[in-house]
Amino acid sequence: MAIGKIHSWKKVVAQVILLGIPTIVLACYLLWDANRLYNILQNDWIKQGSYFAGGIVVSMIFYSYRFRFIATTALLFLIYYGAYKILGNFNVGEFDAFFASVQFLLFAVLFSAGWLTGYGFSRSRYYTVFWSVFLLAIQIIVVSKTSDFKAGDIIGAFAPVLAYAFYIIFTAELIRNMNEDETHFGWFITKRMLGFGIVVLVLLLALLNIFQDDFKAIEKEWGNAQANYDKGKGNSESMTKNNKDGSVSNKDQTKLTSSLNKGKRLVFVAKLDNFFEGSETPNPLYFTAYYYTKFDTLTQTFEIDTLMPDNDLFRPDPSKIPLLFAKKDSAVIKNSHSPLEHKVVTAEVYKVLLSADEFIAPSTAFFCQPIPVSNEYKDQYKSAYRAKMWVSNLNSAYFIYNPAGNQQLEQFQEQRFEALRTVKDFNEVDKKFRDYYTFMPSNADYDSLRTLAKQITINAKTPVDKMIAIRDYFLSKDEFDQPLFKYSDNPGVPGIPSASKLNYFLFETRKGYCAYYAGATLFMLRSLGIPSRLAAGFLTIDRSSKNPGWYWFYEDQAHAWVQIFFPGYGWIDFDTTVPDVNTQQAPQPDETPPLNMQDAYFVADGTVTEIDTVSKRLKLDVNRILFHDKDYETTTAQNIQLDVSLATVARDTGTVTLGAIKKGMHITAASYAEALKNITASDNDSLPSIFNKLIKPVPVDQIKIIDPESAAQQKKKEAEAQQNPTDWIKVLWITLSIIAGLTLLVFLTPWFIWQYFNAAARNSRDTKLKAFNSYRACMYYLNQIGYSRTNFGPNEYARMIDSNFRTTFSSFSNVYQKLKYSSLPLSERENETVQTFYRPFISNVSKQVPLKTRISRFLNIYNTISYFAQSKNK
Amino acid sequence: MEQQIQLDQALENIQKLVDNIETVIRGKRTQIQFILTALLAKGHILMEDNPGTGKTVMAKTLAQSISAKADHTGVNFKRIQFTPDLLPMDLIGSHIFDDIKKEFIFKKGPLFCNVLLADEINRASPKVQSALLECMAENQITMGDITYKLENLFFTIATQNPIEMEGTYPLPAAQLDRFFIKIIFGYVDEETELDIYKDYLGIESNLQHIQQVLSMDEILFLQGETEKVFIHEEIIKAVRNIVWGTRKHADIVLGASTRSGITFLKCLKAFALVNGRSFVTEDDLKLITSAVLDHRLIYRNKEAKQKAIAGILDAELARLSKLNIGN
Repeated sequence: MAIGKIHSWKKVVAQVILLGIPTIVLACYLLWDANRLYNILQNDWIKQGSYFAGGIVVSMIFYSYRFRFIATTALLFLIYYGAYKILGNFNVGEFDAFFASVQFLLFAVLFSAGWLTGYGFSRSRYYTVFWSVFLLAIQIIVVSKTSDFKAGDIIGAFAPVLAYAFYIIFTAELIRNMNEDETHFGWFITKRMLGFGIVVLVLLLALLNIFQDDFKAIEKEWGNAQANYDKGKGNSESMTKNNKDGSVSNKDQTKLTSSLNKGKRLVFVAKLDNFFEGSETPNPLYFTAYYYTKFDTLTQTFEIDTLMPDNDLFRPDPSKIPLLFAKKDSAVIKNSHSPLEHKVVTAEVYKVLLSADEFIAPSTAFFCQPIPVSNEYKDQYKSAYRAKMWVSNLNSAYFIYNPAGNQQLEQFQEQRFEALRTVKDFNEVDKKFRDYYTFMPSNADYDSLRTLAKQITINAKTPVDKMIAIRDYFLSKDEFDQPLFKYSDNPGVPGIPSASKLNYFLFETRKGYCAYYAGATLFMLRSLGIPSRLAAGFLTIDRSSKNPGWYWFYEDQAHAWVQIFFPGYGWIDFDTTVPDVNTQQAPQPDETPPLNMQDAYFVADGTVTEIDTVSKRLKLDVNRILFHDKDYETTTAQNIQLDVSLATVARDTGTVTLGAIKKGMHITAASYAEALKNITASDNDSLPSIFNKLIKPVPVDQIKIIDPESAAQQKKKEAEAQQNPTDWIKVLWITLSIIAGLTLLVFLTPWFIWQYFNAAARNSRDTKLKAFNSYRACMYYLNQIGYSRTNFGPNEYARMIDSNFRTTFSSFSNVYQKLKYSSLPLSERENETVQTFYRPFISNVSKQVPLKTRISRFLNIYNTISYFAQSKNK
Repeated sequence: MEQQIQLDQALENIQKLVDNIETVIRGKRTQIQFILTALLAKGHILMEDNPGTGKTVMAKTLAQSISAKADHTGVNFKRIQFTPDLLPMDLIGSHIFDDIKKEFIFKKGPLFCNVLLADEINRASPKVQSALLECMAENQITMGDITYKLENLFFTIATQNPIEMEGTYPLPAAQLDRFFIKIIFGYVDEETELDIYKDYLGIESNLQHIQQVLSMDEILFLQGETEKVFIHEEIIKAVRNIVWGTRKHADIVLGASTRSGITFLKCLKAFALVNGRSFVTEDDLKLITSAVLDHRLIYRNKEAKQKAIAGILDAELARLSKLNIGN
């Protein structure tokens, strides 16, 4: 049974383009807006927009046929239910199931909304009115979620919806009333759309004129916002960022925005050999990635400053360091200005999601050595490194938050504070250093912050006491015995950052995430003249009683806190973020830590000169070796043969096969072979002499490929690309030239097709083929110059052409028909007709049509389309 | 492989017939072709138009062009003027009592002829219509126990006035289906009309002096040759598609039957031969589809009547025109 259509295809196309696309655009905008405020939406407005778009387009096309709404919608819901059930069966983890079902629910809701809207546009006359009212209602809810009302926000929220409402009601009515059989259908639509456009433009201009001042303010704020607009993330911020390869890095800047995105995935596992003096109690330390020393008042953003005085940030790229070779930077120890109460601590970091080029360690790290991950853990941990830090005895993850209740910890803290109280002022600190770390904007917005800092610390004498006072202020209770400050991932501030963000946090909402607390603390400290900076990284939670010294780091542990400089003691961590009462840190599973690898006796770093994957032999040009933990280098590369039959090969991305090694690659090969244990080197051995001592080929257990273009470099490029302001003129030109190219291509399509047909007709020899190709080429040519067959029969058509051009097309056409539909053989003359007809005919016809007409008609793509489309009834 | 067709002889005969008819009927080449198509396809034809457009003259001319025997003594041509009070008996004949033999003998009615002109068929009651149509289909008349076989050549030319005119009984779809082709006779063009007026008196005399150019055997030979016309598989497919198209079309309430599909094929063959070809082409399809199918279909509304068949046919022609040479 054929299903009748309600609308003609023209009407459906008009509906999709004129109603569907604007609706989709508006829906995307609203979703984007909602994404800023609702965490559950996961900041995925493009995907959500596409769900809606799918619903609306499918539904519009679907309901242009005579389908019943109730029955089909019931079917749709059945499909949803079925899909939901299937989804439920496939998920394993509880969290996955939750995540998938939320995603599915979102999809179902948005798709249904699109579906309903598509139906409404297609069938119901008054749907646009209800739809507009519904959208306005949604906007009211969204606006009511934001607590600071500004003219700009309200206009931003309502203007698009209002404009859309006018547009959609007008256009829907227009499409409803139009007559698609009208000859100038396109012009009919264009005329009315133009008229409407002018009216709306005049209206908008009038509005702009009236509210000019407000708009200027918005413009300014938008200007700021755009500078930091993080593509694809909406306006929500995350403490970590997802790299293109799926790994995670700490962000090198943190912006104060409305909501914080947090994941629950394991990022890395670390073993930290830091214990309280004279005890077996592990002393966890925060893991630092960056220091934010500078605050950009314009963009309200904490930034890394590579020009900070006495740079004590050690940032190697572990993926670039040959396996087991170490990179050291003792300058950072010097720059940390911390001779007192310090010791060297070792940490081993096993990366799960953490990007291969990322280096994270407690401050102040000065040593990085990539270490192999043993085979049984290869799947779990992509790579690992060992770090050494110059660590203060006064630093501890236990110290930096309020240990209220835990006597032992309180005691420790008290000891720490006692030590730090010896620092009374910062007079002996280098002035440049002090000025840099106590800089704060002189903006009037910060005056209230200064006042507050003075107020809070009025009784505190020493810097550390001032710090404690600030911490206690954040932990204090109000007159109703409720906590004054609350933790919130979603402070509910609209996404456009304003200069008063911190004031807003401190004096109005009093809720925020770590960056808010750290930022506020930092400026209070700086206003009191205490050198301080922000640190970003991961907070350390001691979860392990089974494996003391091992720590697990999940995405939601990404954190920002404050470091204060105490002369002699260096930078000390302080964390003022209040505990999050709503989402108690669920103790994440305490897994088995990866076992240590044994020591490598021999490590060679060089370039592959030969690889034989069959006999598993490899030749390497070696510049540098590590033999029994001793480093040897040479300027002239030495070639050595390695036995790689037992070796595991790794890349930054994980374990790979031996086949991945190619000639010319830079690799590091390590050997744990017992045979090498007893070969020792004397002090005056050089690299060649050690080679002579080795057994050949050297058995190798571990190979690490060092990729020439590491992820770090790619990221750097990305960052550069982001930093370079987009040249919009260039983008415009490129877009224009692409459009022009495509247009040209479209225009030339008829010509290309003609070239093909023409060549086929000219070049074929076989009678049947020649006849077919000639006929096709003639038909196409005639069609293109405006003599389409329409609904003539072949003979009729041929006669029409003949009478127009005085040609002999009908005789050829008759022969062609005979060839096609009869089994009679062709006569000699008919054969000749086929062979000789084509060229004279085309040239004859083309002579009779003026060149200008020919070209203009020939390039008309509509002729081509109608040639290839099934002929329509005229 | 096509059966060996005596194309030249067939074409010569057809040309003779056409030329002969054209001495009387002017400017009606297409209609003549359709009538010959129906004749060669062993079918019957229905002509519809206002009174006075030359339908009857046409039928007469055709009948008189054919001689019953080789000696050109003329075929048996009968004309029945259908009226509302006509009875089936008046057509097929009746038993009458023979006083001498003392028995009923069958007195044959006008149906026992070679060429029958059923004038204004839709003015007769349905009873009479069905009596005629039955014998058209079966080529025989059954009266009581005895079945009378009609002669080998039995060709009916029925005319009808447009349905909208008063005093008509529209033919039901089932009966219309028996007519192979329905044509609108139509007025001649202005030029020809003037010629006709000038020859005003001449027409009667023309009819009197019409030559019997073909014998009945020659007509039967042509009918035999028609069977041999080659019809390509793609054309057969196209016929199938068109027939199915009418059944699936949203604006057609009653589509074409399988029988009409077969009729369609027969007509295509005959039409090709009439047009001087021993094989069927797209042109035949294009020209004949409407004449063969239009009267069998019931449309949803008037506009659909204009468009539906043309739409189906165009789609099919477009498909055919793009086909490569396949055999």
